[in-house]
Amino acid sequence: MSEAERLKKKLPVPYTDWLPEVVKRNLGKWVDRKYHGYGVIEHISETGDRIFTVKVGTPPNFRVSTDTLRKFIDVADRLGVGGIKMTRNGNLEILTDSLDKALKIKEEVERMGFPVGGWGPTLWSINSCTAYLTCTTAVLDAPSITKVLYDYLKPYFTGEITLPAKLRINVSGCPSACGGFTTDINLVGHYGDAPTYDPDKIKLCLPKSAKAIEAGHVPEVAEVCPTRAIRVYGKPDGSVGLDIIREKCIACGRCRDVCDWIDFDESKAGVAVLVGGKASNTGRGPMPSYQVIPWVPAIPPDYVEIVAVVKKIIDVWRTNASEGERIGDWIGRVGMKKFYQLMKIPEGKWNRAVESQGEFGVRQFRI
Amino acid sequence: MSAPKNLPPPEVLLKRSEEILAELERGPWPSHVTELKKTNYATRVYGVGLAARKSPWGPAAVKVEYVTTGVLSRWARDWVPGGGSELHFRVFHTPGKFLKTDWLRQVTKISKELGVGLIELVGQTGALVLNLTPEKAEEMVDALRSIGTDVGGSGDAIRALNACVGPALCEYALYDTLKWYAEFYKDKRVNDAIISPSYPYKFKIKMSGCPMDCARANRGDIGFIGVWVGAPEVDLELFRKKVESGELDPEKIVARCPSGAISWDKEKKELKIDGSRCKKSMECIRTAFPAIKPGRERKIAVVVGGHVKGRFGGKMGKPLAVVNSVDEAMDWVIKTIESWMEHMEKGVVKHKDRIGDFITKIGYKNYLKDVVNVPEVGKPTLHTSLRAGAVLDEEERAMWSKWVSEIVEEYKSRL
Repeated sequence: MSEAERLKKKLPVPYTDWLPEVVKRNLGKWVDRKYHGYGVIEHISETGDRIFTVKVGTPPNFRVSTDTLRKFIDVADRLGVGGIKMTRNGNLEILTDSLDKALKIKEEVERMGFPVGGWGPTLWSINSCTAYLTCTTAVLDAPSITKVLYDYLKPYFTGEITLPAKLRINVSGCPSACGGFTTDINLVGHYGDAPTYDPDKIKLCLPKSAKAIEAGHVPEVAEVCPTRAIRVYGKPDGSVGLDIIREKCIACGRCRDVCDWIDFDESKAGVAVLVGGKASNTGRGPMPSYQVIPWVPAIPPDYVEIVAVVKKIIDVWRTNASEGERIGDWIGRVGMKKFYQLMKIPEGKWNRAVESQGEFGVRQFRI
Repeated sequence: MSAPKNLPPPEVLLKRSEEILAELERGPWPSHVTELKKTNYATRVYGVGLAARKSPWGPAAVKVEYVTTGVLSRWARDWVPGGGSELHFRVFHTPGKFLKTDWLRQVTKISKELGVGLIELVGQTGALVLNLTPEKAEEMVDALRSIGTDVGGSGDAIRALNACVGPALCEYALYDTLKWYAEFYKDKRVNDAIISPSYPYKFKIKMSGCPMDCARANRGDIGFIGVWVGAPEVDLELFRKKVESGELDPEKIVARCPSGAISWDKEKKELKIDGSRCKKSMECIRTAFPAIKPGRERKIAVVVGGHVKGRFGGKMGKPLAVVNSVDEAMDWVIKTIESWMEHMEKGVVKHKDRIGDFITKIGYKNYLKDVVNVPEVGKPTLHTSLRAGAVLDEEERAMWSKWVSEIVEEYKSRL
């Protein structure tokens, strides 16, 4: 086989080949569902077949060793129907065909040290980007923040303590927000200040000669800036200079994405907290999330500041929301100002209380 | 990036790193560090990053013959004692992310024998991520291809598609999300765009079977969401039975409807839903299914221009059209991409502008008329720019530090 064959991608199609047998047999025939405590769901088919799914929480950033994964596969073969399903938010689901087996699976994975939970009014998962595990642009380490949060919030995942409604948390190491910032609670690492740069190495991201600038060329490091906070200019000696205009900078990190010599002061970095986003059309419909707390220090390995703030948001929501209201639905009803009041958040330039207006998603159509 | 300021000497840094890693192995939740330590991943480098409070990785380049996307490599920064490297493949996940155990065993075998034994079960792009070393990269590509999947989905190209579980395991699916996930992959134009990164930025296609939008199509560059026309379908006999048995509280169902479209006549035991007011929130359906089901006339709402990362901040998807089948929208996807690229050549669209940024630049109405030639059927809701970050001066930082420390104080006894 020539290596150029690789240009023709092997893609997992047709999809029916990739489904466990019992799923394939009941495709499109599902008629009902039942919950059996948190983390166990039953799907009922018109053929009479049933699938019980056990939802298992995974380590931060959904990282497992092959040794651990093989243990899950063994459980899925021994007690299940030979199928595992991953969710978009990194939970590992084991499929089986009776409640009895589902409860045995729950017992076995718990014995392995993995919690079972999610669905209903619980914490469904904490989504984390890779950050210091591989990323070159990460400001903070999302997986370790996620680990600490999960340690404290585990009873909300298992359902030992229930919530008004579903809760998701996203943790991202930088404003590129690969962990997402549009769910109920979002933590996003950022510089907390305008970026710095290495005065010598930054030349690698700039044209060599001032003539290029005079000719109208804008190097990418300045071009990507959404607020024109990066000024590039020709110096009298013919070289190129760069200024970062602090007053215009919003610390979005886009310059850092295209130039490795843009830098930051790690002692000023922190997380921004955004709340109220959701994708689902339930309640008040899909909603964006807004930055409500611009900066919380992020100090490994215990991150007490982050844990305390997240716990307080959850407590305020639990105490004040009605049954079924996700954080965005609740804030949408009582108003962002009220949320600030309950949290005693001082409003400022970086966290204007935005009252959500209008509807998103399919509600933008007349259907 | 330069070395962090005040970096301690290597032996102190390594000691601190080990303390932090040990700390992250404690606690009731399964630890990623415990998993890393069971593999050949460079855990030490990760620990040094945590101790230094800066990412320890810098960009590197590993070439794999004829594989142009999905290969990502790093070198440890020069301040990391002992150095190190990291290489991973983004591998196309299975449809609906169902993993048959015999296939998954083959993946673990590849990871163990050709990789470093570490797997990210689902990456943020929706891929299955396998860590490896450069020496085995060529071999691993072939091994993955031999089990029916491949490496790809990074850079300024069409990224891994994302679809909810759909009809495979959900009774709410209003169209076959997984079928269309496959159809998109099979389209030659899409396949080419997965291979060669030449767009202004990434492009994501997402498919959700119902308005609950598990695939988050609302945030896709193009998103497909199953809907129905008018009111949900009510099986009144079954509904009454469920009310009598106490399984359902009709008053609660009425109260939970976001548009007040439902009425319950207590005397006649009749439930009515006003289809003209129904917002498709799924609230009644998910509570009373199968006594209340989605309506029979099914459609797919197409939204465009949603994303998190982009020039002008994150955006919610804007309405494009309501179609009967995904293939009606296939050409719009291609037209949108082609126009996006043409506008980059013209200098209107810049590198790292998403579709949402492109639409902001040329105007939503012009996009509908000139790019896809689709009549306006909805009205996009505007929102303020969605961003994270702040440039704080010393006074502001001190203010927030104090604010946070009061909450820490309040919660100290509970932490």
